[in-house]
Amino acid sequence: MSIDMPVIDFHTHLGSWGRFGVDGDPDRFVEIMDHAGIDAACINCIFYGDARRANDLVAEFVSRRPDRFIPVAFVTPHYPDEALRELDRAFDHLGMKYLKIYPDYFRKPNDDPAYFPIYEWLNERGLAVMAHATYSFDKPGVTPYDRFTALSERFPNVKWVLAHAGGWGPDKAIEAARDLPNVYLETCGSLAARGAIENSVRTAGADRVLFGTDMALLDARHQIGKIITADIPHDDKRKILGLNAIKLLDLEV
Amino acid sequence: MSSLALDFRPSVPTLDANVSIGRRHDRVVSVDSADGARAEMERAGISRAIAYAPHAAAYDSGEGNAMLMDAVRGSHDLLPQFVCNPASDDLAKTAAHVEAEGVRSVRMLPGLHNYPFRPWVVEPWLDWLADARIPVWLPVEYDLLGAVYSLDPRDVYDTLSERQDVRAVLSEAKYHDASWALPLVRSLPNLDFELSRFVVTGGITSAIEAIGPERVLFGSRFPDSAMSPQLYSLHHCGLDDDDLRAICADNAERLLGLS
Repeated sequence: MSIDMPVIDFHTHLGSWGRFGVDGDPDRFVEIMDHAGIDAACINCIFYGDARRANDLVAEFVSRRPDRFIPVAFVTPHYPDEALRELDRAFDHLGMKYLKIYPDYFRKPNDDPAYFPIYEWLNERGLAVMAHATYSFDKPGVTPYDRFTALSERFPNVKWVLAHAGGWGPDKAIEAARDLPNVYLETCGSLAARGAIENSVRTAGADRVLFGTDMALLDARHQIGKIITADIPHDDKRKILGLNAIKLLDLEV
Repeated sequence: MSSLALDFRPSVPTLDANVSIGRRHDRVVSVDSADGARAEMERAGISRAIAYAPHAAAYDSGEGNAMLMDAVRGSHDLLPQFVCNPASDDLAKTAAHVEAEGVRSVRMLPGLHNYPFRPWVVEPWLDWLADARIPVWLPVEYDLLGAVYSLDPRDVYDTLSERQDVRAVLSEAKYHDASWALPLVRSLPNLDFELSRFVVTGGITSAIEAIGPERVLFGSRFPDSAMSPQLYSLHHCGLDDDDLRAICADNAERLLGLS
């Protein structure tokens, strides 16, 4: 049985990252998407301290293949005044669909107050933001459940997408998606823990799981293989592979 | 509009070159028995698997290897792989155990077992492996009790470049290791490459370009990983049928002397 609907990759990156051999070659990007059966990829650029430069690169890249890529914004809390102006520009002028932040490299967990003006901006518009759920520099005892409970109470209109949390992530992230109305689990990761997709669907529900690949770092074929070979119903695979992203981002298909 | 198939079965006979069977005591594994592994193999369309015992890696290789044999002895689908610890095991005793049980491959974990993969530790063991024509799997790392114990690729290069009579498999290289793993196997014609954790973009194609399809092996790292995703990826790399067959089973069979 075939999927017969658009397959949306929720999590990809533009740019090169020599440490891991990521070259950011757009032709290779599309070639692998074709091999994997992915129609469109949400793409961000997180490799710059200058968010404006990153977002311009994304916008230019997407303009060359608007049929295959969906632009995603990036801002940094290190420059709060710039961040709010850049949010206006990225969403209102560049057509970005959601926000990606990278607390790991900012060295600030995503419940640091430095992000609150950014979240307030998103909250007013009911937009989504994606970030990792936990960090190496978290204080002992911090869980994604507590973190996102507090964030979603403070910013109830924000849709919180927990990167890497649907494929192998900490259990408390899955429980957060089960109990909180605006929390979603994204599936990419270098591990393919047995039963992780099934557990995410069983615990949080298929409506809360979003397929992502982490291209151009991780191979899209392995990532989509985790969903296709999971022991879950076809209708759940359809939700994870595209329907949920279309709904969350209000995409025109 | 994608016409992606929602189900997958491998199109060629498949031998998983990296499975473990048995419990760990530092965490719960999702499947800990031979029957459980067989059920997953059936679901994934995998007919055979090379399996080792986690207890043999973590604590006592001799005892763990015996536990493995209790679980798989006489089976045609689960091919036992013994863990060896050259720093503490008795070579003659291990060799006798391997021969008695008809074991066709071994696994060494220098990082975990705290020795350098250098001739002044492993040479007698390499002599035995060469004479017995038994290949050795070398996982890039092993995690235990929250710590990660890594293989030193410099030791592997220096030692195996002088021992072309020893056949080895670099196993579980991951995206962090991409910068050195393929140069290493490219530099050592006696070192093959197992794919279970090599999920960096284009990694399978890069491995094939580096060393040819005849030296690349499919493995899953089950039960820590699901069996099927990397097998699915292999089937979507544009490989011809001969190369796919080689990577999915033929190369491992040849290494084990099964073909």
